[in-house]
Amino acid sequence: MNVLFGSLTHFGALLFFALVVSLTFAFLSKYGIAERLKYAAWAFLAFLLVAIGIGWLMYPFSQ
Amino acid sequence: MKMEVVKGNQTMGIIAAIAGWVVPGLGHLVLRRWSKAAVYFLCIGGLACAGLAMRGGVFGGASEDLFDRLGFFADLGAGVFYFLAHQLQAAGPDVAHATGDYGTRLFAAAGMLNLLTVLEAYEIGRGGEPR
Repeated sequence: MNVLFGSLTHFGALLFFALVVSLTFAFLSKYGIAERLKYAAWAFLAFLLVAIGIGWLMYPFSQ
Repeated sequence: MKMEVVKGNQTMGIIAAIAGWVVPGLGHLVLRRWSKAAVYFLCIGGLACAGLAMRGGVFGGASEDLFDRLGFFADLGAGVFYFLAHQLQAAGPDVAHATGDYGTRLFAAAGMLNLLTVLEAYEIGRGGEPR
């Protein structure tokens, strides 16, 4: 377990978090495989877009 | 699409909720929601284990700090992963580094997600819902 996650990059951690939370939300809120997959894909992409967007918004303050 | 409705009662709801809190997905397993049980166990268990492997901190209940107490309740939601945290995390927490700090958030997120699945298990067990 430590080998898998101990050396995870920040982006890798974001990808993993987005994936498992999207899947869980999809199974909590939707019925049927197609609906769940669609919801999970959208939620996953939304997590990534928002995280990368906020990252870029904060970029000027890191200088 | 025709939905099959499963009848339940208050006792079944409480049993499913407690089982789901103790082990993520177990409440849905009791209710024979196989796919949900598997996904919840893998996702929430994976998130909790990842948080511990990243050497995230686990909040104790004795703190006077409000943020620590919120963290304690979030972590407690992870059920068995909270109680086994010290065994699973042999090296102990290291929140001085960003990875450890992320691990703390991942573990708390696992607890909060599990509380959502517990509520769903209770709802299914209590009154039934479409599959």
